[in-house]
Amino acid sequence: MAIINQATKELQVKIVYYGPAMGGKTTNLVQVHDHVQTAAGHKGKLVSLATSSDRTLFFDFLPIEAMSIKGFKTKFQLYTVPGQVIYNTTRQLVLRGVDGIVFVADSQYEKMAENVESLANLEGNLKTLKLALANIPCVLQYNKRDLPNAAPVEYMDFLLNNRELQVPAFSSTAHLCEGVFESLNMITRLLLHKFISQPASQYA
Amino acid sequence: MPSFPQLVEEDVLRLDEELRGLLAQSEATIALLIDAAGFLIGSSGDTRQFDLTTIAALAAGAFMANQTIAGLVSETHFNSLYQQGEQFSLFVLAVNDQALLVVIFQAHLGVGLVKYYAQPAAQRICRQLQIAHARKPDASLDLSEVNLADPRGLFRRKLD
Repeated sequence: MAIINQATKELQVKIVYYGPAMGGKTTNLVQVHDHVQTAAGHKGKLVSLATSSDRTLFFDFLPIEAMSIKGFKTKFQLYTVPGQVIYNTTRQLVLRGVDGIVFVADSQYEKMAENVESLANLEGNLKTLKLALANIPCVLQYNKRDLPNAAPVEYMDFLLNNRELQVPAFSSTAHLCEGVFESLNMITRLLLHKFISQPASQYA
Repeated sequence: MPSFPQLVEEDVLRLDEELRGLLAQSEATIALLIDAAGFLIGSSGDTRQFDLTTIAALAAGAFMANQTIAGLVSETHFNSLYQQGEQFSLFVLAVNDQALLVVIFQAHLGVGLVKYYAQPAAQRICRQLQIAHARKPDASLDLSEVNLADPRGLFRRKLD
C-alpha cells in the first residue's frame, strides 16, 4: 500500500501494469520513460528483468516523480508483471503492495481468451493478497488498436468490463504512444481520488 | 498485507539514527530501510554513488522471491539474504513483515560483522515502527490544489 511520510512530505504509490503475454505492458513503460515531461532528476532508470529474448522474467520498473501537491512530493513506481502463464508466482510478488492497476488487454480477436484468463488470474492473485479488484483503482487499456484483426471496443467492454461498476477503458496503440498517457493519468487520478475520499491513515 | 505506518519527524530521526549507528559500527557503505513492496523509506551513507530507488525495488523483489522459495522447501521464512560481490556485498534482513534493512558494504569486510550489528538495529527499528503504528497519525493529504478533472493530468507527454 502507499507510503505516506509526513516528516519528509512524500507520498509513494505503486502502479502495476497487468495483462496477457505480449500485450504491450513493457511497451507502455518504455513509452512513458521515453516521452514523459519531467523536471531533471524526476525520472529514474527503466529497469527490465527480462530474458535474452526480451520477454519479461520478473518485472520492469520505472520510478517517476510527478508534481508536488501542497508540498508533498508524489512518487510513482510503475511495474509490469510477466504475462506468461508459468510466471504466476512472480506476478503475485509484484502485486504485493499494489495501489493501482492498468490492465493492458490485447485487442486481437484470437487473444480474447487470454485476456479473460489474465483478468481472472489477476482477481485470483489479488485474493491471495486479501485484496479485491473492486476496491483497487483500475483502468483498462485496449491495446494494439492499429491491427486489422482488432475486436470492436464494445466487444472488449462486454468481455472485460462487464461488471456492476465499470472502470475507465482506453483504446491504445502503445508502440506509437497513443493511449499510454491517457491510461497513466487516469489511474493516477483515480488513486488520488481515493486519497481524498478516504482518510490517509488507511493507507499508511 | 499489513500496511506501512505513517512516519512523523520523531520516527524519521530515530530511524536515521539507527541507520547511521549501524554504518558506524559495521563500517558498511550504505544502509537502507525499505518497504517490502519496494519503496525506499530511509537511507544513510554515501548515497550518491548508487541508484537507491532501483536498489530498493530490486532488493525487495529478490527478498520476496526468496520467501517464496522458503515456502517451497517447507521453511516458514528465510529472514535474510546475502550476496557476495568482488567490490561490494549486499545483506538484506527482515525487520518485520513490512520492512527490510538493506546493507551494502565493501566486499573485503566480513558479512559476520554486518550481521552482528544489523540484527539488534533491526529490532530497534521494528520497535520504532510499532510505535509509529500505535500512533496512527490521522493527517490526510490536502489535494485541493489538484484539479482532478483536468484532462491533461499529472503526466504530460513531451512534444516530439
